[in-house]
Amino acid sequence: MAEPTSEKHYEKKFEFELWKLIKQRAEEKDISYHDASIEAMLEFEKTIRYRDKEFEEAAIEKRRQETLKLSELERKLERLRKGEE
Amino acid sequence: MTALDKIADKIIDTDVMIMGGGIAGCYCAAKAAQHGLQVTLVEKSKTERSGNAAMGIDHYGEVQNDGVTPLEFIKLNDERSRDLNGDGRFTDPNIAYKYLDKSLWAVEESEKLGITMKWDDGEYYFMPQAWFGGPRLNLRVHWQDIKPDLAKAVRKSGASILERTMVVDLLTNKGKVVGATAINTRTGEFIVIKAKAVVLATGMFSRHYEPEEPLFYKYQMKYHWCPASISGDGYAVAFRAGADMANMDITGWGFRIRDDLTISYGNFDHGDGIRGKWYTWDGEEIHYPTAQVYREIELKGKDPIYVSQSHLPDDYQKRMQVAFVDEKLISFKIAEDRGFDPRTHRYELMENHPLNHILPTGVNVDDDLKSSLEGLYAVGDCSNGSHGCGNASIGGLIVGDNIHKYVSVAGEPVIDEAQAESQKQVALAPLSREKGTEPMELELSTRYICKRYIGMFKNEGRLREGQRRLRSLKREFIPKLIAKTPHYLMRAMEVRNIMDLVELHIAACLVRKETRGQFIRLDYPEKDPSRDSMITIQRLENGKTTLEIRKVPDLKPEYLKQGNQ
Repeated sequence: MAEPTSEKHYEKKFEFELWKLIKQRAEEKDISYHDASIEAMLEFEKTIRYRDKEFEEAAIEKRRQETLKLSELERKLERLRKGEE
Repeated sequence: MTALDKIADKIIDTDVMIMGGGIAGCYCAAKAAQHGLQVTLVEKSKTERSGNAAMGIDHYGEVQNDGVTPLEFIKLNDERSRDLNGDGRFTDPNIAYKYLDKSLWAVEESEKLGITMKWDDGEYYFMPQAWFGGPRLNLRVHWQDIKPDLAKAVRKSGASILERTMVVDLLTNKGKVVGATAINTRTGEFIVIKAKAVVLATGMFSRHYEPEEPLFYKYQMKYHWCPASISGDGYAVAFRAGADMANMDITGWGFRIRDDLTISYGNFDHGDGIRGKWYTWDGEEIHYPTAQVYREIELKGKDPIYVSQSHLPDDYQKRMQVAFVDEKLISFKIAEDRGFDPRTHRYELMENHPLNHILPTGVNVDDDLKSSLEGLYAVGDCSNGSHGCGNASIGGLIVGDNIHKYVSVAGEPVIDEAQAESQKQVALAPLSREKGTEPMELELSTRYICKRYIGMFKNEGRLREGQRRLRSLKREFIPKLIAKTPHYLMRAMEVRNIMDLVELHIAACLVRKETRGQFIRLDYPEKDPSRDSMITIQRLENGKTTLEIRKVPDLKPEYLKQGNQ
């Protein structure tokens, strides 16, 4: 079980790194957020592993395995509910 | 002066009229103009930022890749359809075949129009498939400015764009479509467009169900799928002209998502291939719930259900931010203002409800994207078998590339003046009334009917009561609609379209006496095998709607023969 969802999920102040970069760029160059977003995004993208198939597939597989376990658990609970176990 | 001159403030003569300046309409216009045709694109808003792609797009699918052949794609398409709508086929597989077969051609054509699908490194980037892998058929694209770029391509091609112009109805003569009437929503000018061929490209139909967020009246036009334009105008004019309409019983479905007023949905809960995590309110992890499962959870007192992305790797969290730029820049500000950090917080999934008429529904077309009426074509989300920006662009390009063949033999359009006059009376009437019903009031009542009497869990009694109430509302309030300005005239025409289509929707739901996928009839909980791979067809004949259950066509022998390449 995870912790219950509560108001605290909505209380913490936060900032998106990319949005911060866009706002800074817009102010520095006196350009619109739209124009700044294109520049800032290209810079921000360099910090992201795109096209790394090995990394992507490992992350996808990890989550797939978790979901399979969840299915097994749900099937077990269903059998228990029906009195089959 | 002819009789038509007296009826119309403006008459436009064109080879091809395209209704809707979204992705499909723009691609179609630019390509048709390359063949030397006179093309008139009619857009009720401003083409530079109109339609589903108004704020941008972050991914484009489906493009032939990973060695997937058209026949394998048909199987994938069947699987996707089964996940969405249950067993069997709902659309012509020849259309899906053609979309994949032409997908690489469409990418090349797009580049020629100045619209690139390449990633920043100059190469195409096929992203991980949503959910759990599978072949990579979707391109990750930076299409924040797809609409201004497409509008530029259309203008450069020589096609004309009539903006702020709402089509009232199609003009027909002896069963053939010969143009349309329209209103300029700024000046109120009544326009007759004479066209040798008409292409409908207006997107999906969605404004009959409530939007996702529980905000107040003025936000009731905001949907996460699209802007305020999705009133099914293309569907409605085709239906009233007598075209075959497909599968109006089947809607898309999904969750109403809290805080989704502006946050980009894009690939959000698919996490670029990594599934989200769903929780009951007290933290029990569950599978992505169907409507039936959500109902059980409600009865146990464990709702709301939430989706979380907090498990995604840092790189994926950053990817989400890049997707915000591509699809909806304002997402950042709204999320921060509301204190909603998708990296740590959970999204409330409010209820599983019908969303829109899309993939298996719309104007019924063959694999040349021709409708059942001569001279009428349909492309993009308003046509049966099309889904999303990939199919929209391919469909637009296919019709744009071939329509000159029909135009060359179509002959001059002959307008029935009495029909044009009658359409003018219907369209302008709300302007002349001082007191009456605001279009939005009637639209909200219609949405209430859809929620209360159709919804996810249907039965005959509710559907019949909904039908009776809808007809009563139409009879009483359509003649009382008021419009203070030509802009509100557009809203009046939209609600007329919405109500006509909801009537079709209810009639089709009544006839589908089974439960299949997420089409749930509480009074018919089993699947009806006689409905396997059938299409529900409705059309208007002599003022009455007919309904026919028709077999989905088989794949053409030549496609079966060539399809493994």
